[in-house]
Amino acid sequence: MYNPPERMPQDIFLIGAGQTRFCEQWDMSLRDLIEASVTAAITDAKLSAIDIDMVIVANMIGDAVADQAHLGALAASLLPHRPPALRVEAACASGSVAVHTACSLLRSGDVGTVLVVGAEKMTDVPNEVVSRALMGASDAEKDAAAGLTFPGIFGLVAQRYQHDYDLTREQLSLVSAQHHQHAVTNPNAQFQKAIPAEMISESPLVADPLRLLDCSPISDGAAACILSVKHRSPFRIAASQLSTDTLSLADRPTLTSFSATKEAAQKAFREADITRDDISHIELHDCFSIAALISLEDLGFAEPGNGISFYEQPDPNLTINQSGGLKACGHPVAATGVKQLIDLRRELRASGEQFGLAHNFGGAGATCCVHLLEHAA
Amino acid sequence: MPPNTPAVLARAKKNRDRRSQAGTIVSYTTVRHPPAGFAPQPRRIAVIALADGTQTIGVVTGDEVIAIGQTVLPRLRLNRVSHDGLRGYDIAYEPVATVREPLQTPFPGYILALTGPSGVGKSSINLLLATVLSDQVAPVPIVTTREPKAHDGTEYRYVTTEEFQSLREQGQLATWADIPSQDERRLYGYVVSDIEAIWQSGKIPSVVTEMHLLQGLAQHYGRRSILSCGLLPPGRSRRKMLSTLLHRLRHRGRDTEQSIRDRVRNAEADLRFFADRADLFDHLIVNEHLDGAVEQVKGIVLELVKA
Repeated sequence: MYNPPERMPQDIFLIGAGQTRFCEQWDMSLRDLIEASVTAAITDAKLSAIDIDMVIVANMIGDAVADQAHLGALAASLLPHRPPALRVEAACASGSVAVHTACSLLRSGDVGTVLVVGAEKMTDVPNEVVSRALMGASDAEKDAAAGLTFPGIFGLVAQRYQHDYDLTREQLSLVSAQHHQHAVTNPNAQFQKAIPAEMISESPLVADPLRLLDCSPISDGAAACILSVKHRSPFRIAASQLSTDTLSLADRPTLTSFSATKEAAQKAFREADITRDDISHIELHDCFSIAALISLEDLGFAEPGNGISFYEQPDPNLTINQSGGLKACGHPVAATGVKQLIDLRRELRASGEQFGLAHNFGGAGATCCVHLLEHAA
Repeated sequence: MPPNTPAVLARAKKNRDRRSQAGTIVSYTTVRHPPAGFAPQPRRIAVIALADGTQTIGVVTGDEVIAIGQTVLPRLRLNRVSHDGLRGYDIAYEPVATVREPLQTPFPGYILALTGPSGVGKSSINLLLATVLSDQVAPVPIVTTREPKAHDGTEYRYVTTEEFQSLREQGQLATWADIPSQDERRLYGYVVSDIEAIWQSGKIPSVVTEMHLLQGLAQHYGRRSILSCGLLPPGRSRRKMLSTLLHRLRHRGRDTEQSIRDRVRNAEADLRFFADRADLFDHLIVNEHLDGAVEQVKGIVLELVKA
């Protein structure tokens, strides 16, 4: 394994951020979404556009759904000085991997300020076409060939989890119910309304045992962050860690735990040199209700099989998906990882607490990024 | 999902052969809205632990209630039809009525398996190992129905076909195989109690296998238990390897010309097996010189013992 040399890491600050609302943006194209979020981020950073040294665009299915690849150049051409730009793709983790890439570039010393923008346009095509494009995140030969969808993959995970840990339908419904409750006050959320657990338990089956209201929706949206080693702000990236796992679900020793989450979390806590007790807010990747439970366990906040305890008896010192999470905010796939940092910043600002954790994974956890955001109040 | 073209379907065939095994259900779901390119009806899909210890994802046929741990058998089914009418077939799994607990064999210990075509030197290496590593390794006797031969070592235990069948029916065989031959029906197997006795004595049992015996062992004890070494004759091409084997078989002078022909035919299938089921081998060793090959296997075993 590569061990980076011991050195004083340069501090990376989150100096500006902006997003569109996540929802069906009927009158906005992929370009419009990117432009809206970038403009909001630059305004928020109180910078001039020409202070940006580089642009990194996160996008997963632009090619398949909006017939648009080459998004680095597209985003750069929205800025007056057309800085260097590139696109990263890691399925639903594209956004956080773009942030991670930006951190690496900033540490390299080649650039001082990087604009990261995650954007996805998903509602222009029929659902089965989006389903098929999203299956690009799985193993095309081993998983997708059987006709699986992503709800199907997490249906397999949920079925096994219920079998191993005796999780009931009523318990599982608490997850989406709580995330929806949180979204009531989030103006950027797709669904700003509470949904009672009973309604979730009775929603139509999508991929047994998962029901419609266990699943994050299809959404349009974009989110942008500006990270800098040149300009300072009260918000510092305390850790940025990336891990991977086998692409195919069939190659894993267990279905009920994602090793990439475990590994990224361990590395992140080591990098920031803090413990789980220091975290006050988590934004985690609840693409499906079951994923929230498994993630809390893999991140080390709950014992295996016990993730539900956070939903049965919420911890007063730790908020989970206060934004509404992917379920209620919407999940324009590549935008989510960037938007989680924006939510954490808002939550830390409001609470005055010091640390927040963003957890974003791609596919069935084959790529996972964990970011720790520090607030110097 | 890969596109439905002749090239993709041809490549999928190899995978299909590999997946054509019985297994047990690890988890299952019903996809109510399949993606574009598949029939719009709900599809029942499962993660299946296959007999050889690998896992796969496949369609489960029928609509009766299924359960985690249930046994399934492979069936060839139409999977999807491309827009220009190309029909893609794939393995689907049919649930078998009996429901048993999931295939979770506890780790019993390691077994050293030497696999390779006839004439490659499996038995010689196995016997030498038992000498140079007598504290670590002990060979497991092969139970066989074949006639004793003058050159046979002490590794065989001869039984009648009826005795062999009765061992099998009583579940006393960890693995067995029917190795084709022109003149007689030759059954080979390893007895569970022989293997366990060697574990009891604190040693690693070593066995000489071919493809069926190896797969059977991996199924019985779990793939993880098998320290699997594939032995190959020297030669860059399959033809060169076969000619080396032919030469060695004639040179050792134990077999009739008919028997040598049988053995070379089986060897062709064995060599293909190395390529098709690379996942079943931890190490591939080319037996150019017996001493060198023994040293290599010895190193592998000692490393394991040390760990």
